Amino acid sequence: MDFLKQYIPNVFDNWHGDYGFEGAISQTLYMTIISAIIAGVIGLAVGLILVITEDGAIAENKTIYNITDKIVNVLRSIPFIILLALIGPLTKIIVGTTIGPQGALVPLVIGTFPFYARQVQNALVQVDKGVIEAAQSMGESNFGIVCSVYLKEGLPDLIRASTLTIISLVNLTAMAGAVGAGGLGSLALDIGYKRFQNDVTIVATLMVLLFVFVVQFIGDYITKKVSH
Amino acid sequence: MAQPLIQLKNISVNFKNKERDVLAVDNVNLDIQRGDIFGIVGYSGAGKSTLVRVINLLQRPTGGEVLINGEDICQYDAPKLRQTRKKIGMIFQHFNLMMSRTIAQNVAYALKGSPLSKQEKQDKVNELLDLVGLADKKDTYPRQLSGGQKQRVAIARSLANDPDILISDEATSALDPKTTESILNLLQELNKKLNLTVVLITHQMEAVKQISNKVAVMEQGKVIERGSVLDIFATPKTSLTQSFIDTTTRLDATLKGLAQQDNLKHLKPGEQLVQLSYSGDTTDEPIIVSLYQKFGVSANILYGNVEILQGTPIGSLIVILSGDAIKVSESLEFLTQSGVRIKKLNLADFGGDN
Repeated sequence: MDFLKQYIPNVFDNWHGDYGFEGAISQTLYMTIISAIIAGVIGLAVGLILVITEDGAIAENKTIYNITDKIVNVLRSIPFIILLALIGPLTKIIVGTTIGPQGALVPLVIGTFPFYARQVQNALVQVDKGVIEAAQSMGESNFGIVCSVYLKEGLPDLIRASTLTIISLVNLTAMAGAVGAGGLGSLALDIGYKRFQNDVTIVATLMVLLFVFVVQFIGDYITKKVSH
Repeated sequence: MAQPLIQLKNISVNFKNKERDVLAVDNVNLDIQRGDIFGIVGYSGAGKSTLVRVINLLQRPTGGEVLINGEDICQYDAPKLRQTRKKIGMIFQHFNLMMSRTIAQNVAYALKGSPLSKQEKQDKVNELLDLVGLADKKDTYPRQLSGGQKQRVAIARSLANDPDILISDEATSALDPKTTESILNLLQELNKKLNLTVVLITHQMEAVKQISNKVAVMEQGKVIERGSVLDIFATPKTSLTQSFIDTTTRLDATLKGLAQQDNLKHLKPGEQLVQLSYSGDTTDEPIIVSLYQKFGVSANILYGNVEILQGTPIGSLIVILSGDAIKVSESLEFLTQSGVRIKKLNLADFGGDN
């Protein structure tokens, strides 16, 4: 301990409390988990809409496909740091504040779900058309095909896409730190960078890395489990 | 005649895209009787897969009626159509099994939504896997199976709801000859055992020859020839049908081989190279002998082939007839009257020496 204290003194000084590492870690987890769940549900739904309304798919619908496709493209094109400012008023209406981890949720969800929707689309579009046709020939309904063919056959790819999305979400939470969202990003910027406490920046980085590794490891493990 | 199980009336399928319309199926009428193994042959792009997808409405026709047991299923609403589809099994060229499910689960999938109890479903799955000879593979995944085994699973799956009809869409095209034969045998066995009506789409005339009782030949969206397999093989009317039949014999290769031979390239005066085709009773009569006895025309046999189709022999001979020119033409007359079909051959047509 004393040895560590010698090299990273500021980390120890900034460990406890809401504005220290303790608070930052829990805020990062909070932002990542809550927005992953919400963006996951929305992104999955939007991705499914894209897949099933595509030309030649089970619920082919040009209008719905084109509208959804454009929305996803537009939202994906806005740089996240600008999105944070851009949707401030909307954020305020939905969660009542634009600062802190809660204030970051809305932009994180809006910044993430289009990305996830595309990932879902790419994953599910690879489900064998022949298998879908076979299911149809067995009298399966469209809803049944979504649940028991697309989501089941595409599961390994879907988990891979989810892992990727969660990792990019961690990246976004750090960026949100720039506008006062809290979390490890804020810590690295506000204390590490602005107060020249480099050791704080380094340790914050290592923690983000550790978090990413854990997510990747779990993702790979589950993918392997569900692949046959 | 009893009411056909499947009746396609004036079926057309038109694929529209920006550049052009493609008429994949062009006003096809087809009756398929219960218990038939109905072969539909044609080269790729002939529209046979599209046509057969109309039977379970995986492809909606742009015109015409699809009658199953006399009812137009195009008029059905979605739930009723799904019920109807359960009674029409389908197997595919690439098997289309679900990779994330075990063999047993793949078969059980077809029973989703059936009123059977869990135990009954399990029994049914076991029974079906037994029927296709894969009971021991129950808990493996499709990836671990060979092509033939995968197709057997697909067949078991397609039979789960005790269908009346089984559509086989190029089901043997991705398999090796030996496996193809075993799958065809299985289909034939199911046809007999379960009185299953099989619609067999293929570009392999061999498959049709092996198990079908009726056949339709398709080209450019149209059925250009149809009839019992026996009639079609014995008396093909179109050259496309003839060429499909030739693929099942070694006739083409034989003619090419013969064309290489010098003595055949330059026939002597009075010699005539002909192909004789005959079926059924004709095969029992010693026609070659009678040619000599009646006309003094001798026949030099270069090639001969007899096949038994549906219990009836179909023969084909390539011979050189030699003798007096008038006698030779008289003998050809006689052969025609005896029900032998004659085709005069010119070896130059088979590209002799190149």
